[in-house]
Amino acid sequence: MSSVKERLNAVFQDVFDDPNLQITEAMTADDVDAWDSLTHIDLIVAVEKAFRIKLSTSSVRGLKNVGDFIALITSKLEAG
Amino acid sequence: MNPNKTPDLSYSRLAKQGKRLDASKLGSKLKVALLSDAASQQFVPVLRALFADNGVDATVYEGNFDAIELEALDANSGLHTFAPDIVYIINSTQALRARYYDHGIEPELPRIERVWDALAKHAGCRIVQCNFALPYERPFGQYDLKCGNSLYAATRDLNTRIAQLAAQKNNILLCDVESIAAYVGRREWFDDRLWDMSKTFCNLEHLPLVAQAMADIALAGSGKLVKCIICDLDNTLWGGVVGDAGPHGIEIASHGDGEAFYRLQKFLVTLQKRGILLAVCSKNDRANAVAAFEQNPEMVLEMGDFAVFVANWENKADNIRQIRDTLEIGFDSMVFLDDNPFERNLVRNFLPDVIVPELPEDPADYVRAISALNLFETTAVSAEDLSRAELYKVEAQRRLAQASFTDVTEYLKSLQMKVVLERFPAEKIARIVQLFARSNQFNLTTQRHTEAACTQMMQDEANVIPLCASLSDQYGDHGLISIVVARPEGDALRLSDWLMSCRVLKRGVEDYLMNHAVSIARERGLRWVKGQFIPTSKNAMVKEFYAQFGFESADQLNWILDTQRYSPRETFISAAG
Repeated sequence: MSSVKERLNAVFQDVFDDPNLQITEAMTADDVDAWDSLTHIDLIVAVEKAFRIKLSTSSVRGLKNVGDFIALITSKLEAG
Repeated sequence: MNPNKTPDLSYSRLAKQGKRLDASKLGSKLKVALLSDAASQQFVPVLRALFADNGVDATVYEGNFDAIELEALDANSGLHTFAPDIVYIINSTQALRARYYDHGIEPELPRIERVWDALAKHAGCRIVQCNFALPYERPFGQYDLKCGNSLYAATRDLNTRIAQLAAQKNNILLCDVESIAAYVGRREWFDDRLWDMSKTFCNLEHLPLVAQAMADIALAGSGKLVKCIICDLDNTLWGGVVGDAGPHGIEIASHGDGEAFYRLQKFLVTLQKRGILLAVCSKNDRANAVAAFEQNPEMVLEMGDFAVFVANWENKADNIRQIRDTLEIGFDSMVFLDDNPFERNLVRNFLPDVIVPELPEDPADYVRAISALNLFETTAVSAEDLSRAELYKVEAQRRLAQASFTDVTEYLKSLQMKVVLERFPAEKIARIVQLFARSNQFNLTTQRHTEAACTQMMQDEANVIPLCASLSDQYGDHGLISIVVARPEGDALRLSDWLMSCRVLKRGVEDYLMNHAVSIARERGLRWVKGQFIPTSKNAMVKEFYAQFGFESADQLNWILDTQRYSPRETFISAAG
């Protein structure tokens, strides 16, 4: 099973339609051209689908960077 | 209608496709405006992708968020500057909920009507109004419907009143978002987190269903309509093989697994009554196929319901070509239903424009699968739709009669054709708008005029001569079949629109009308008649139209006739009445 980061990377590549995109923990919306409030929603919906989890409004609002995103997904997966 | 209508309406796929769209290869352009009290950004790439699937390059204008009235009422708004061909008004249940708790439901309908009136006044374009998905909360439990003022009951009532009001206004079309939400299921439809975060009004996965319905309405209005359904017989319209089981052994209605086929036939009857033609294309001995309809008492469809009935052992692509030639409609307005994947693929290969839906394995799912494709969108239903099947049957008799005449002149004389030629009458405007929208082949300039535009022509007696012709003959009434719009300009009569239903080709109607047009010019002392040909992918048949009448042209597009050199064509048509 690939890591959460690798799986998340695939989701990013799909949503931003860019096969060369490589995420890093420190990456934020400012680092990706097409990452606006609209694609942010697309991203959350795609993550929920890919990882089969549900993210609450408040947990999504608290995300500062990709590292937070990975931590949030990991905690959701562990809580199962 | 896209023949390869994608069953994959995935949001992520369409959103990506819409963003990387290469519009340079798309033939027709459409200016689309979205006015919404919810976020509309997600609609933009999805709509563009769905329109592109149908060869249309859609430019989308998004009104300011939650500014439906401002955009509509302000004649200088971005919306009016954009000058859209079609405006979609997208309403969200979530925004309605907020307004309802502040002001109740009563201000809603007048507000909607104000927007319609303002758009009709300033924009003069087609207007598509979405209704409201019913909310999920039931504060009164099962008692909710009995108290008309709960949000649920009020929304339901509002939807009904929107539909009633729209029914009185021909320029308003409805997009039934409620039926889409109900089909998906309210539990799946609403995602309140997305509303809270970004004012997205439904679960993104279901947004393409709304966008598809929206696009289908626009496409139907531009003439992309299904006109005929061609059906296979064995295991499509009934269970089993009639050649083996005999007319009483096949499964239909209460016999065997016949319920599923009964349901499909009932659905087809409804479509036929609505004006969609039915045809049979079956590999069978004709006598066996006919016996199934004539002898099985449980059969729903009758021989008389089919405009064309082809049962033989030739390949189906050839048979469908023959059906096309008989009905004189485009391949892209035909749907072919067949349970056999081999036949479906054969038809797809040889006739790529014919719409060939995948049918599910289980006949029990046929109607649901066909209905889900939303193939039968229309923007108007006229009295002539309801009797169109009758017209085509009469036409079939006429063709039989034609076969018995060796001389076409004798035949035309025997028809005793009569034409009523008149300025657009108010009571026929709906049919006129529809003929403008539907005619693709015999159409010189392919202008699609709205009801408002037609009414304006009707009223502008000083500058426009908008004529419509209705034809009848000894076999029956064809109804309104041709439109010619003439405009006196300087020393010429300019023919800005000329179109005719292909049902009445080769009868001399066009000769009769040209004689008339030239005589109008002469009566008014106009020396010239000018015509224009605007080529499309479908109107090649009228490329030489003006040349036939002696018009001259330098570019094959703009034509001019000297009325002094025109000798009237002989016709076998008389003026009715």
